Amino acid sequence: MSEFTDVENNTELQFKFCWVTALRAEATPLIDAFNMKIVENKSLFPIYANEEKGHALVISGMGSIKSAAAATFLKNHLKINDHSAWINFGIAGFFKGPIGDIYQANKVVSKESGAAFFPGLRLSKLIPAAILFTVSKPENGYKEKVLYDMEAAGFCEMAPSFSCNELTYVIKIVSDTPSASSSLITKHLVRELIEKQLSKISDILAEIEILVEEEKKRLSIPNEVIEFEKRFKFTETNKYKFREIYRKWKVAFPSKRLDLSEFLNSQPKEIILRLEKEVLLNVEDWNAL
Amino acid sequence: MIETIFFEEEIYEHPTTERIRRALPRAGWVPIDRYQELFNKRHQNFKLQKKNPALILAKKYDNFVLPVPSGFGMDSHKNFYFSHMYNCLYDCKYCFLQGMYSSANFVLFVNYEDFFRSISEKIKKYKGQSLTFFSGYDCDSLAFDKLSGFANQALNFFNGLSNVELELRTKSIAIGSLLQREPLSNCVAAFSLSPAQVAKSLDSKAPSINRRISAIKQLADAGWKIGLRFDPLIYTSDWKELYSALFADIMNGLDPERIHSISYGPLRFPKKMYKKAASLHPEHKLFAFPMEETNGVVSYGTKIETQMHDFLKSELNNYISENKIFQCTI
Ligand code: SF4
Repeated sequence: MSEFTDVENNTELQFKFCWVTALRAEATPLIDAFNMKIVENKSLFPIYANEEKGHALVISGMGSIKSAAAATFLKNHLKINDHSAWINFGIAGFFKGPIGDIYQANKVVSKESGAAFFPGLRLSKLIPAAILFTVSKPENGYKEKVLYDMEAAGFCEMAPSFSCNELTYVIKIVSDTPSASSSLITKHLVRELIEKQLSKISDILAEIEILVEEEKKRLSIPNEVIEFEKRFKFTETNKYKFREIYRKWKVAFPSKRLDLSEFLNSQPKEIILRLEKEVLLNVEDWNAL
Repeated sequence: MIETIFFEEEIYEHPTTERIRRALPRAGWVPIDRYQELFNKRHQNFKLQKKNPALILAKKYDNFVLPVPSGFGMDSHKNFYFSHMYNCLYDCKYCFLQGMYSSANFVLFVNYEDFFRSISEKIKKYKGQSLTFFSGYDCDSLAFDKLSGFANQALNFFNGLSNVELELRTKSIAIGSLLQREPLSNCVAAFSLSPAQVAKSLDSKAPSINRRISAIKQLADAGWKIGLRFDPLIYTSDWKELYSALFADIMNGLDPERIHSISYGPLRFPKKMYKKAASLHPEHKLFAFPMEETNGVVSYGTKIETQMHDFLKSELNNYISENKIFQCTI
């Protein structure tokens, strides 16, 4: 275990970007760039993270199934929230050069099962898009005009269920082509190719972060609600009713605070009724705009 | 601007596909088998997808024309609807599409000819009866028209059909395909309208009310029949003044003879759709009103609905005869 001790039990952590890479060589430039530290090194899937910068990363090893398993492991291990972006990042073969170009996969096809995935929102202002085939053995023929990797389909099968499809991204850097054989790929080359794209990667993250923040805002449960739910025993039905009426009440009276001290002797139902009454009294003056 | 077009390989050579290829030369084209591969799948996020929707070109195979739910039509006509498209360029906060689909990508069914064939079958089946076909149920009839070219083909098809009416329902000002031809006596250009302030707040990305009114007047002047649709009615403290002012603006300079019909309907959602729409816009005032729920339908409740109904009916009577005014109840 590293100095990064509290991560596992801290439910307040807000990771914005969850990276899944197959190889350590693909992970290292990201780990360095975002100053991530080891969090988990005993299991099959090493995890790195930088809580402050909002990055977490897992190294899956090669293959579709491992990619899906590693993403799930990261999700559960760090209790990743449901507004985080998931990025499958790494090198890929392509039917044309030059190596070093970066692409977003807009369609991912598992050559094994035939299943197709369409991850992410298009980031067309920043990077070009390409179709990607996930194959089970290294592809050296480059027969189709697509990217080739060995992981993305597995990742795409799983990651959208952690947040949503629009926060799931597959980003690849071309490492081999018909005129640049995969046998020439070295750790050093991978690092070099990725480092050259770090500023582009920062731009991409800035774009994704806007979506993450929007989802975070939409899904967040206000502290006042959390306080009340800790203090009072709401049944599941009442919890839903309380959250709904609180939402409406807060929109109607944005500057009001729900003060715990006013409700100390109240039952959950009474709290809900009180908020309902206040919202209803406001109907005559309702401004829908 | 549309950047990505997913197309079913089967329709790559279709003339509508060809038209779009010419119109969007720089878009990325991605082949797919069927549109359901990526449309309305689990874990999609309508709100985020709406930020940069892709276009999906597909072929429709069945259910081209369906009977409208009761309470939607104008009178005793047999009413049908058809949707050559799913989803809309605009982003109205109350739009039921966001509750219906998890996907905001636009699906355009390029085989218009099959819609027209199916409409012909209905006409044959109900020979001698008055029929109305509503376009723009799962989309806006005209918003996409510059790209799709649908309206022109629909108007060619409906031209001269007796006892058969077409309603193009829209918030769009893309009325070129209508203005460039002689008006059809059996086509209604029906515009959805709200008071300007309401539309500004709720009808995101749609043309302003002023521009919609100006499009109405252009069409009316050119001889087209106009439908006015105040649906959904939005409740706000000064709603009476806002709706009165809206009616006055529309009717100012508009020949009442050109008005085919006026309909209005209260804001209502099936419970499930309301929940979904509210979860997409939790901070919007539209979803903060203490709505009532009866039999699975979320609404302003009978008291407000009745007030709005009574007011609209009497106010609209100042401009147009009662037999042209209808209330939608779905
Ligand atoms: S114009 Fe109609 S279909 Fe389009 S977003 Fe608005 S309500 Fe929905």
